[in-house]
Amino acid sequence: MKELDLLKKDWQKSEASFEQLSEKDIYAMIHKKSSSIVKWILIVSILEFVVLNGIGLLLPDPYNSKYNELHPYLSIAVNLNYFVILGFIYLFFKNYKTISVLNNASILIKHILKTRKIVNYYIYWNIIIGGYIAAFSFIDSWNQSWKESGKTDSIPDHGTAMILPFVFAMLFIMLFIWAFYKLLYGNFLGKLKDNYEELQKIES
Amino acid sequence: MKSELEHSFVKQLRENQNIIHKICRLYTEDEDAHKDLFQEITIQLWKAYPKFRGDSKFSTWAYRVALNTAITLYRKTKRSINTVGYEGNSHFVPEVHYNYEEEEQLKLLYKAVYQLNDIEKALIFMYLEDKDYTEIAETLGISEVNARVKMNRIKGKLKKLLNPQGI
Repeated sequence: MKELDLLKKDWQKSEASFEQLSEKDIYAMIHKKSSSIVKWILIVSILEFVVLNGIGLLLPDPYNSKYNELHPYLSIAVNLNYFVILGFIYLFFKNYKTISVLNNASILIKHILKTRKIVNYYIYWNIIIGGYIAAFSFIDSWNQSWKESGKTDSIPDHGTAMILPFVFAMLFIMLFIWAFYKLLYGNFLGKLKDNYEELQKIES
Repeated sequence: MKSELEHSFVKQLRENQNIIHKICRLYTEDEDAHKDLFQEITIQLWKAYPKFRGDSKFSTWAYRVALNTAITLYRKTKRSINTVGYEGNSHFVPEVHYNYEEEEQLKLLYKAVYQLNDIEKALIFMYLEDKDYTEIAETLGISEVNARVKMNRIKGKLKKLLNPQGI
């Protein structure tokens, strides 16, 4: 294609047109902060870990101890959750460390997307465990108020009757969170995903 | 105080800065974005520099880091649509005065290159830089055969963009 030869000739001559930076300019540049996607993912992920765990710590439940006595398996879930969080943090940093700009483009993007996925799994885990605990408190407090009104005989019916609206509420919350993340990371990871797909397409 | 490492890095980067300028030219549309990407590439190169052993040329090493930054790490501050912006793009003005017909052709060529996606741009960039297919394949993480196939497709695509009616 002779047009491409023409382009190549022009491209290689174009070097002369760039405004040359001095050593002083470059020196100033290397002391500036990076604003790369990886850096943003790290910041947002740390924020997510902090916020999600902070909510639990900042909202002390006055019924907590009594509640745990009533439902010992719940406290097992809470303790298990700490191990799971530690596991997620470990996996996150382990994957984060594998991101290297010296890898080829395909591996680099794969590692970034994998690291980000760990955080997504962590969020899903939180939604599940949060939903599980919320479901218990919700049904429990319903039963409690039912008991206080003195009609103890028909608790089970109402307990189960509340499951349906509860499930709808949970689904709505999950949908909301999902949409939020779609918006946040759609913008963030869109380019990465497009480029990764393009590389995969070349290889298929 | 400049350390020895900083000093040798800055010196080598200054000597090889045109590599980065050319990548910025390909992946950005205006002067501000060009500077922005140049800075990010410089930071990434500097961060990776302690791992640069000197067993390859600085320029070869810089190609990979710079392209990776443009394709993967760089986050545009504002979203832009690929097809818009060419007219105002001072990057893509033919440098040398050819005859009128060639100049027109070059304008069209740059416009067509500008419409390619990030990965296609990376391939055409390495082609224009006279890189062999082994290096192109290694940089992108694809096989050499597929790099050739893709390059031929891009050439076809450019041809089509130059001649939409197929004349």
